[in-house]
Amino acid sequence: MRFRLIYNHKNLSKPILAEAILKTKVLINILEAKVTPTAGEIMVDVPVEGEKLREVIRFFEDAGVTVKEVAQILEIDMGRCMGCGACVSPCPTQALKLTKDWEIEFDEKKCVRCMICVDACPVKAIKFT
Amino acid sequence: MGERGEETLRTYEEINEKIKRGDATVMTADEFVEYAKTHGVEAAAKEVDVVTTGTFGAMCSSGAFLNFGHTDPPIKMYRCWLNDVPAYGAIAAVDVYLGAAALSETRGLEYGGGHVIEDLVSGRVVELRGEGFVTDCYPRRYVETTITLEDLNQAILLNPRNAYQRYNAATNTTDRILYTYMGTLLPRMGNVNFSGSGQLSPLYKDKDFETIGVGTRIFLGGGVGYVIGEGTQHNPQNGFGTLMVRGDLKGMSSRFLRGATIHKYGVTLYVGVGIPIPIINMRVARSASLSDEEIFTDVVDYGVPSSNRPSLRKVSYAELKSGKIVLNDRSVPASPLSSLKKAREVAETLKKWILDGEFYVSKPVELLPTYRELKPLKIKGIEPRVKDIMSKNVITAKPSDNVQYVANLIVRHGIDHVPIVDEENRLVGIVTSWDIAKAVAQNKKSLQEVMTRRVITAKQNEAIDVVAKRLSSYGISGAPVVDEKNHVIGVVTTNDLAKLLEGKGYL
Repeated sequence: MRFRLIYNHKNLSKPILAEAILKTKVLINILEAKVTPTAGEIMVDVPVEGEKLREVIRFFEDAGVTVKEVAQILEIDMGRCMGCGACVSPCPTQALKLTKDWEIEFDEKKCVRCMICVDACPVKAIKFT
Repeated sequence: MGERGEETLRTYEEINEKIKRGDATVMTADEFVEYAKTHGVEAAAKEVDVVTTGTFGAMCSSGAFLNFGHTDPPIKMYRCWLNDVPAYGAIAAVDVYLGAAALSETRGLEYGGGHVIEDLVSGRVVELRGEGFVTDCYPRRYVETTITLEDLNQAILLNPRNAYQRYNAATNTTDRILYTYMGTLLPRMGNVNFSGSGQLSPLYKDKDFETIGVGTRIFLGGGVGYVIGEGTQHNPQNGFGTLMVRGDLKGMSSRFLRGATIHKYGVTLYVGVGIPIPIINMRVARSASLSDEEIFTDVVDYGVPSSNRPSLRKVSYAELKSGKIVLNDRSVPASPLSSLKKAREVAETLKKWILDGEFYVSKPVELLPTYRELKPLKIKGIEPRVKDIMSKNVITAKPSDNVQYVANLIVRHGIDHVPIVDEENRLVGIVTSWDIAKAVAQNKKSLQEVMTRRVITAKQNEAIDVVAKRLSSYGISGAPVVDEKNHVIGVVTTNDLAKLLEGKGYL
């Protein structure tokens, strides 16, 4: 599952993510990070479910980090999509695929938000949320 | 071998009679390939009257003739813009040609002729601006108004080069991302992009042009169109035949005509083209039965900035369509730039039109040539190459030299780039005056610590433009010139390029 971790100026300089990994032993994967002098936002993939997932979320919340679930990260406007494959082969993690009926299929779990597909799309049908 | 275009299996008239009666047998090329595989080509040829094909890809060599009608007082519009995209106006007073690749003067690559054509076909309002060449009969100087497709007297899609028989597949062996008309190409052969619909491809299903010629009625952009001749760069003997086509924009649909931007390359128009192949003789039947396994193209390295790009290997459309191809023993993701989903839809739609008795096949007035030379543009006069501008007295150093020594070299010779070579003068690295300044600041003594090992180089016979682009894309000010064995034979710098411009009187 993907989450947005929102840091404030108080906890920004603390290695909370590293602590979370060491303590929970969950291999949290950073997908995107934005840090300014007063705030920070990290998008992470947390590859566990159930009680373990709740433990990870609790850890961040106790450290003062706001945790928001990311429901959908990429949107394809199927009205504009022509079903070409210009976004498919450049995708470094094969998150975008063509089905055998030549429809575009997106596997959110594999996406690392590199956004190469946004530019590769000839009809600008792909947006990141 | 019989005469090209001979109607030994059935005539056009017989096929059209059957279409009229509603008992013609029509298959899409996909279906015909399967049918021929299971029943044999002879049986398939006997059974099937028409095979429908389709492709839907970026076809930059496209555009539209538009006639606006006369204003009062009238204008001889010699310059014209549609949604800020320039159209060619040096034809009669209110006729223009809008090229698909023309770019908006305000929005650049984001919007262009292809998008204007899509907007028109979708019924959207388009802004028209025109400047007049004032004469006694055309007194108006300027016009600014809005138009829709309906307002126009004629809107004729006329594409000089469409429906390539097949196209090269593209990859990139360099170490940076390339943005080409073949899409985004990842470094070090990270992906392969291809175009063309393989066994559905209109011109591959009648590869000797026995049924396709001047006057052939076709599916074009969702409406009816006609082949008006060979396309530009028609090169059928190498499997790169093309068509020039026309059709009434007013009968077309944005489902099959889409403006598009190829990132950092330009604007184009995706066009849906479908051609009915009447099975008039066995040769046509055999061509129509060719499957993706039997249709090959080359994987070409777009990292080579030359019109003679090397082929890395031959590949079948079957392998390309599988989504992965093998390059240097590695499996590389492959995907189409043209839409195979839409290509199939084109072939299906055309099949339905024929079955419904709405579309008849037409015998060409003249067949297309099966041989056409494809000549390059020869540059007359002398064009400088790297060897003409490079410094040949190269000052080099050895990896074992120290920073102090190289600093002296730089000052003494007034240079910025010092290639580092081994005992046999083979390039192993480079240091610049900046590297040396940095080394001094950081108190580093040995060249080994500061030299760049992955050196961007040039070859002596390369064109100047190519090297200029390379220097700017890597953000560097010079490159060693090396021979085939990596011996340093010169250095070319941005200074040399500047001098060249001065010599030509550009500065």
